[in-house]
Amino acid sequence: MNVVDSIDVEARRRAASILRDVMLRVLDDVIKGRPPKLVIPKRTLSNTIFDPERGILVLGDDVFERNMLDMGETRRFMQTLLMASIVYQALVENEYPTIRDLYYRGKHTISYRDLKGVLREENTWDEQAESDAAIRDIEVATGLLREHMLILSKEKGKVVGNMRIRSGPDVIDLSKLGHGAYAIESTPDLIEFLDVDAEFVLVVEKDAVFQQLHRIGFWRQYKSILVTGAGQPDRATRRFVRRLNEELGLPVYVLTDSDPYGWNIYSVFKVGSITLSYESERLATPKAKFLGVSMTDIFGDANKKPYLTESERKNFIIKAKERDVKRARELMNYTWFQTPRWKKEINMFLEKKVKLEIEALAGKGLKFLAFQYIPEKIQVRDWID
Amino acid sequence: MSRSELEKFREMSVAEFFSKYREVAGFSNPARALYQTVRELVENSLDATDGHGIVPEVKIYIERVGGERSWCRVTVEDNGIGVPPTVMSEAFGKVLFSSKYVLRQTRGMYGLGVKASILYGWATTGNPVEVQSSTRGSDYVYVKKLYIDTKRNEPVVVEEAQFRKNVSWHGTRVSLIIECDWQRAKARILEYVRRTAVIAPYSDIILQTPDGEILFFPRTTRKMPKPPRTAKPHPHGVDVETLKQMLRATKAKTLLDFLESEFQSVGEQSALEFLKVVGLKPEMKPRRLLRSENDGLLVTMVEAMKSFKFRAPRSDYLSPLGEELIKIGLKRMFNPEWVDAIKRPPRAYQGHPFIVEVGMAYGGAIQASEEPLLLRYANKIPLLYEEKEDVSYKVVSDVNWKQYDIEMPAPLVVLVHVVSTKIPYKGVGKESISDVPELEAEIRNGVLELARRLKRFISAKEREAEAMRKILVLARYIPEIARSLKTFSRPPESWKPLEPGEEKDVVESLVGLVARSVTLPRSGDSPGRSVEDLVRSVISGVKVS
Repeated sequence: MNVVDSIDVEARRRAASILRDVMLRVLDDVIKGRPPKLVIPKRTLSNTIFDPERGILVLGDDVFERNMLDMGETRRFMQTLLMASIVYQALVENEYPTIRDLYYRGKHTISYRDLKGVLREENTWDEQAESDAAIRDIEVATGLLREHMLILSKEKGKVVGNMRIRSGPDVIDLSKLGHGAYAIESTPDLIEFLDVDAEFVLVVEKDAVFQQLHRIGFWRQYKSILVTGAGQPDRATRRFVRRLNEELGLPVYVLTDSDPYGWNIYSVFKVGSITLSYESERLATPKAKFLGVSMTDIFGDANKKPYLTESERKNFIIKAKERDVKRARELMNYTWFQTPRWKKEINMFLEKKVKLEIEALAGKGLKFLAFQYIPEKIQVRDWID
Repeated sequence: MSRSELEKFREMSVAEFFSKYREVAGFSNPARALYQTVRELVENSLDATDGHGIVPEVKIYIERVGGERSWCRVTVEDNGIGVPPTVMSEAFGKVLFSSKYVLRQTRGMYGLGVKASILYGWATTGNPVEVQSSTRGSDYVYVKKLYIDTKRNEPVVVEEAQFRKNVSWHGTRVSLIIECDWQRAKARILEYVRRTAVIAPYSDIILQTPDGEILFFPRTTRKMPKPPRTAKPHPHGVDVETLKQMLRATKAKTLLDFLESEFQSVGEQSALEFLKVVGLKPEMKPRRLLRSENDGLLVTMVEAMKSFKFRAPRSDYLSPLGEELIKIGLKRMFNPEWVDAIKRPPRAYQGHPFIVEVGMAYGGAIQASEEPLLLRYANKIPLLYEEKEDVSYKVVSDVNWKQYDIEMPAPLVVLVHVVSTKIPYKGVGKESISDVPELEAEIRNGVLELARRLKRFISAKEREAEAMRKILVLARYIPEIARSLKTFSRPPESWKPLEPGEEKDVVESLVGLVARSVTLPRSGDSPGRSVEDLVRSVISGVKVS
């Protein structure tokens, strides 16, 4: 028999109760002969609002009703209810399904007869995209996030540093993991921070750069916590970073490639993403700072000497592609990219039409990256907010 | 008293005109002559049956004879009233000797068609006509072979015989050998028989072709229209010649009596007023008007009759087919999705009463075409030639079908049937009807009324299909939704999985909800299942895993 820890039990009890209340209201409508419906906030770009006060993306007030008796909605209605029942069952049966599990548990064939009496078949869902959408519908309809419902996703984020945490029944020292790192669990809210001896958090976009900085001992040298989302960060990594910032008061610096894709990853950490704006409130870290690599790091400006020499620049920079330029122009439309520093950064990119990967800086020498570039930039506060 | 005695045979005088001017009667070439012969014989057979309350059985045999020559033997047999032996020779052997020259709605107007065929057969093949006939109640079948002496307009009997009947048959069997062109006439003749079967669905019709095919159109009903009855002429509809005949034949002693007894829609009051208008004395002897010095007076009288306000002509002696029979006929031939028919109220033109009936069929087995398939009938005769000349074609091609939600090409059949004591044909070929304003208006009224009904059907059908789609889309998820929702009735503390069928009450509620959310308009006369039944049928025998 597995050990069921008390934090889990409480999370389950709460999630099951909220989910059940919402669905019992639907059931009550049905029994009383009222058309059953789910009221769901709209997850569209037009209903995604940047809150400048808090510096995060939030969901607007627009809601829509998913009415079972509406021909265009009835299939999604069925899928949402089916998913809710599977999640509920998993909660009360002490399971930890992944979103892939939920996809398979709910995927089966619906048989029905057409009006000529011929038996026909249809799947509850075909693609995981459909079951994932049903999960998101439940999240917004109930206000419960999937982590609250103990739904696991693939662990992608990693962390090392001078701190100890409690995860489930175990205490883990994040400074004693050898060459490895701790995989940030799907339910980061169930992690308890025990003791921390760090001054800042460095989030690096790329896993390879994370490993290099880890092996060279960056976090020991500079008393920091090193995190990577390995590309586009998952929800757990974002929530974990947010908790480090909010609960421990550690400043968060983000290091990405110098291109629109890197800027976007920074943006997701900082303000949230459009598809998941309903959970930005918990996932975004509005105080996160963009440490680099910036265009002025490459080219310098009136007040700043570039980090790269003429010949290094020639060797390391890559020509921007058409879609990079297009993406950069899109980013310029977002409010949070309209500060003077960001305008300067993006305009420089559009002017030079070149980009640079962090590995290129490491190419100049890993020591340069770890012991000169990063500390110096933090030291002189050369970041973009 | 036998019905046949009601037939009044009267002798008219005309000579060899028709043998010389064949095309006038529709005998311009061997193909047309064959078509015309079949038509005349079949129409006589139908008049001899349904015109007298007998459910028709008509057998048509067309055979090739005469070796290398393009000859056909055309034989048509019916179960009609038969021709009395005393008038048989005259009936088949004297032009314009006919039972039809009275005011009565019959298929052939002058009854000269068969005789034209006999003249044509004699002229092209030298073969006499062979007639067998037996009247109802007679113990004998009479057989005659004869031809017509055109100079004298007299029948020449070649052979005759009589047999005692050993079966209960009565009717007439006429057999002719004529020059023919079957290949070119084939399509028209088949179409003619098909269309006859549409308009007379109470008939058994058999056609045996020279190709060895046998086409059988069995009757689909025994209901028949009321036979037409003979009527007196209406004053609006007589001409000088007719008036002279009537004056000659009348037994009336005075003009007042003549008007009252020989015409319909004329009472004592209106007769006296009319005579006052034309300045004639009521007690004048009718025959005096026949004196040659009174010719001018007769013309004045006919003109006055046309303009004088007599009561409208009676229509109750007409024999329309009726809406039900038209629908049966169209259904039988086209197996359509929708069919309807309308009988317009009786009207008159120039003193001749008429009734327009319109039928319409849509969808089902009907082939879609750019123009509606138009079936024209006059006094139960199909009209096949000169379609574009016909008033019905004019009316139908004027219709903007789009306005009635019908997108051309469409599977649409329009049937127009005109019955009258005098059909206003365009030519002597009797294949198209003139656009007489009164007639045109009635045809238009009928066609547009049915188009409106069809539009209602189509729109109800579309709404029905939409409702059906909705039922299908909503109902299929009921079991899944019910089971999902029922799961939540279990609190976490006392959790156990649902038993099979435990969600039944939720299914029931959902069935009711879905059923109430759908309004099902009913098109046509499909048996109505309730919406709830339909919802249940979608999920019947379906299990949720």
